[in-house]
Amino acid sequence: MTRARLRGRTDSWPAEVASFVWHLPRNLLILVLKLYRRFISPSYGQVCRFFPSCSAYALEAVTVHGALKGSWYAAQRIVRCHPWNAGGLDPVPSPAHVNWDDPSKVPFIVQLNHPDFFLAAQAETQSRPAA
Amino acid sequence: MDFLQTILTPFEWLVSMIMVLFHDGLTAIGLPAASGVTWTLSIIGLVLVIRGALIPVFVKQIKAQRGMQALQPDMKKLQAKYKGKTDQLSRQAMAQEQMALYKEHGTNPFSACLPMLIQMPFFFSLFRVLSGVAKANAESKGIGGMSHEQVAQFDQASIFGAPLSAAFLPQLQGGDLSVAVVVLSLIMIIAMIASQFITQKQIMTKNMSEEAMQGPFMKQQKMMLYVLPLVFGIGGVNFPIGVLIYWTTTNIWTMGQQFFVIRRMPTPGSPAYKEYQKRREAKGLPLLGASKKKVEEVVEEIPELKGQRSQPQRKNRKKR
Repeated sequence: MTRARLRGRTDSWPAEVASFVWHLPRNLLILVLKLYRRFISPSYGQVCRFFPSCSAYALEAVTVHGALKGSWYAAQRIVRCHPWNAGGLDPVPSPAHVNWDDPSKVPFIVQLNHPDFFLAAQAETQSRPAA
Repeated sequence: MDFLQTILTPFEWLVSMIMVLFHDGLTAIGLPAASGVTWTLSIIGLVLVIRGALIPVFVKQIKAQRGMQALQPDMKKLQAKYKGKTDQLSRQAMAQEQMALYKEHGTNPFSACLPMLIQMPFFFSLFRVLSGVAKANAESKGIGGMSHEQVAQFDQASIFGAPLSAAFLPQLQGGDLSVAVVVLSLIMIIAMIASQFITQKQIMTKNMSEEAMQGPFMKQQKMMLYVLPLVFGIGGVNFPIGVLIYWTTTNIWTMGQQFFVIRRMPTPGSPAYKEYQKRREAKGLPLLGASKKKVEEVVEEIPELKGQRSQPQRKNRKKR
């Protein structure tokens, strides 16, 4: 149904609508993940053997890679979480092009999952006016 | 319920089969087949097999805990580094570094529970076998590897006058409480609590490093010290004698194992370790742990608000 709408409207409607429809699955997933992270995850405390945790991983993957590829990455991560895996750092694979030059434009979850980089960047921007 | 049944069936089979094997072996050397003594010894044999098989797992667990305790100094440094930093990014950075630290020491607090998890299906299935005997006998069925005759035999077997399948509280509720069951249950409950207490005290006073003695691990140990006797007490009056025999034996095994660990592989930095080193010295053996790298770096600072920044490069960037 969304596809039909997309096809019917792309020529006549602004590209924004197409973009909205195109990103709808991704944004729905993001919403679900954020709700989970906001309301359900806190009740467990820290239980994950990985950094970032599975939900943070999924959120970044979906945000960065989109609904399909992101879900695939997230599913793979969940499969990796078993008692025989020693855990540790396990970042989301980067997309082909990463532009982290302006932290304010990077989604917050990406910042949270790469705190070492963004803490350094934050320190850098804070020091600029003083320098 | 069916799901649980499916998972536990192979374990039940294994557990009952080991008991039957011991029973057959014991009758072969002349013990009476229907005697409660023979079945009691079979249960004890089962404990020896299971606990013996779990020794490698246990050693692994000790090493994991050792790793946790060994990284305490590093962990302290990390906590000092992020002290007072409450913003989300800093907390995340701390979590990230913690995880890297666990990995570096080859340990992970969230994987340390595995050895305990492995034992669970055995305990559950054993409990189901031992406590299901009376019911299976009434329905004239076998359990796992036990034939119906063996089940019937087990159900009627008694030790010191107490049937192996009888339990304190159900008897009390049934109104046919026998002195033998009460006395035997109480003796085993006391034995379990005592062995548990000794084990725990040994760990707490002798086998913990000084850092760990002040940490959350100590709190956990203290809690166990008071919660487990309660568990034994409640379980002790509810479970049949056969289960209690298993439980008591396994507790005594744990105690013996702990004595061995404290004597032969104590936690570095613990009082037991010092004694161990002294004994080695007296025998003229080389001291342990002398070659281990010392961790005495200065507390690392979070990137400060100064200095030239190198071009940011994402660490895990894919090269295409």
